Amino acid sequence: MISLLSIVIGLSVIVFFPTFSDAQSEQKTFVTHSGAVVKTSGEVLDPLYTESTVEFDPDEFLRNFEYGRVSISDSGQTIRDYTIIAEDDGIQEISPGIFYNVWTFNGTVPGPTIRATEGDLVRVHFINNGAKEHTIHFHGIHPAGMDGVFEPVGGNGGQFIYEFEAGPVGVHPYHCHVMPLEEHIVHGLYGVFIVDPKEERPPADEMVMVLNGLDTDFDTENNFYAANTIPFYYQHHPIQINTNELIRIYVVNMVEFDPINNFHLHGNLYKYYPTGTDLVPSFYTDMITLSQTERGIMEFEYYYPGKYLFHAHKVEFSEKGWVGLFLVKDNPDNNSQKVEYGT
Amino acid sequence: MELRDNSSKGKTIASGLIPFAFVIIMMVYIFGPGADLLDLGIPLPEITIEKVDFVGSEIHATVRNTGPIPVAVAMADVNDRIQPAAVEPDRYLERFETALVRIPFEWNEAEPYIIGITIDDGTRFEKEIEAAAPALEPTLDLAIFFAIIGTYVGIIPVMIGLLWLPFIKKISKQKFNFFLALTAGLLLFLAIDSIEEAVEVSNENLAGSFNGILLIATVVVLSFLGLYYSGNKLVERASSSKIAKPVAIALMISIGIGLHNFGEGLAIGAAVGLGSVAFSTFLIVGFALHNTTEGIAIAAPMSRGKLMIGKLAAMGIIAGSPAIFGAWIGGFVYSPFTSVIFLGIGAGAIFQVIVVILKWIKDEEGENIFSSASVASGFAIGMLVMYLTSILV
Repeated sequence: MISLLSIVIGLSVIVFFPTFSDAQSEQKTFVTHSGAVVKTSGEVLDPLYTESTVEFDPDEFLRNFEYGRVSISDSGQTIRDYTIIAEDDGIQEISPGIFYNVWTFNGTVPGPTIRATEGDLVRVHFINNGAKEHTIHFHGIHPAGMDGVFEPVGGNGGQFIYEFEAGPVGVHPYHCHVMPLEEHIVHGLYGVFIVDPKEERPPADEMVMVLNGLDTDFDTENNFYAANTIPFYYQHHPIQINTNELIRIYVVNMVEFDPINNFHLHGNLYKYYPTGTDLVPSFYTDMITLSQTERGIMEFEYYYPGKYLFHAHKVEFSEKGWVGLFLVKDNPDNNSQKVEYGT
Repeated sequence: MELRDNSSKGKTIASGLIPFAFVIIMMVYIFGPGADLLDLGIPLPEITIEKVDFVGSEIHATVRNTGPIPVAVAMADVNDRIQPAAVEPDRYLERFETALVRIPFEWNEAEPYIIGITIDDGTRFEKEIEAAAPALEPTLDLAIFFAIIGTYVGIIPVMIGLLWLPFIKKISKQKFNFFLALTAGLLLFLAIDSIEEAVEVSNENLAGSFNGILLIATVVVLSFLGLYYSGNKLVERASSSKIAKPVAIALMISIGIGLHNFGEGLAIGAAVGLGSVAFSTFLIVGFALHNTTEGIAIAAPMSRGKLMIGKLAAMGIIAGSPAIFGAWIGGFVYSPFTSVIFLGIGAGAIFQVIVVILKWIKDEEGENIFSSASVASGFAIGMLVMYLTSILV
């Protein structure tokens, strides 16, 4: 009996105290969604408010446009040469503490934003350093042989040159078009191709936002959503803009699995040019709905300084990372135009 | 002569050790130079959310690394929406290590929640809670409440069952054997019931790496062997001392039932703790009716000796009071692993008692005990009565 009793007591001691944790005196704090400050003796799991140390820099991507190596042909046509290298063995920390196998064009998800003027000759030198076959399929107008569908480029150094005249005017996605297509897209093989009109658009603070999702556990449901890949990035690194300055966003929806995405702007409305193909806006709104690869151009100006959210109004997406902030500062050049609230 | 003795002793020791040495060499090889042999496939990380508590304005999830490789906890979510959280003591979990993930969240009582934990490779694990209820604070009031419920479920019904003793005492040997067999039937039902409960808890809350069913089987067998051995020692001592054999057997039955009632207490405590209050009312009423029959099981063997009210009451306490301790543990420090262990011990204890009773009947009835109408019908009715009262739970 005594032995049984001691077994029972022994077992219960083992079972009731599964962790003999070292009490740590050092306390860390973090802030909850509702603003409460919570203390912990352990570690903070917080993709929202902590400084990100992720490898891909969405701030750099935001305003980066690749115009290519420019030359002029005998006939006077502008030729733009780009080099895009595909890889499929990269592991990137896509949210603090979470590592994902990204397939990349030039090492990033999304790939580089390439930009040309309507009528330019675009030459993309494509090198596939991945293990699998890849291609680049551009949305836009080009010959069948340049479509990146029936010309798979073998891995480990396969090459192809995509050559076509830039057009039509607008913002277009490009992406790998090798089967299984969904897999090649969701791993990150996509980017933005902007065709400017010959007569330039008005000057503006221009930026690119690729709305994307990441299915890190391969269950055909996105675990994260974002503008420019890193969840919550622009929420804790607000995008700085000025009052009374035209802001132009080239927005491309690359979310897979979920049929729609959307873009809601706080404290303002924007002029919206679907696909950017027309120079006259179709809508003046604060909310657009985007299907797969649906894209367009938004233009707006802020009159009041401060912090303004922009996010998916499909709140599930914003609570999984597709949310950001504009930090609007007083424009030093335009103080005279400043509109006082209440005047 | 002595020399030969020594050398043969040495040989015995050596022959005992040599296989061990080979086992060690084999293990060293497989972990050292032969490690490539085992390098098959990709080990998949796994964590199990063992427990979710709703505390103040936080949700606490206890996670255990139940996979073959170390993992790091990276993110927490509530209903698939990412939440800032803390992990204590730290995010890195070795095999079988646990951590507490604290998710600040203004949860609403009685609403269902799915708690998700994502690890470093992006895999998300989740646990669904049917209805959020505040975690029980171990206050004196609540401890008293559980003690009262434990008494109501455990001690009082067993005592009521014991009141059948004078009746059993007056009946003939045939009818007495009927009651013994009835007891065995009741107990067999309880043992199966305990195992079923253990399997359920293990399926719902224990990770696959615990091998739930095998864990239960092992605990049941160990408990059976341990109690059988110590029970025999008790009966041996009983025959050499003043304690009569029926008393010894009744005592064993009480202990077995006590362990079983401990499991029932756990279930009630856990049900209150999980906020299924309506469910626990049924549980309490059901167990109370059910446990009345347990009193008969103790009373039957005791009826053959002298009427010893003090001893009888003590046995009632032994059989019934563990329900109180069970309720405390189930309500305050519930752990699925503990529950499985205790339910397994209870089942083993009851099997042991059944064997003792059947042996006793055999002594009285002869070899073919089930060919006796009274024994067969008693056994059958025991099972039936338990089944019918169990429907109430």
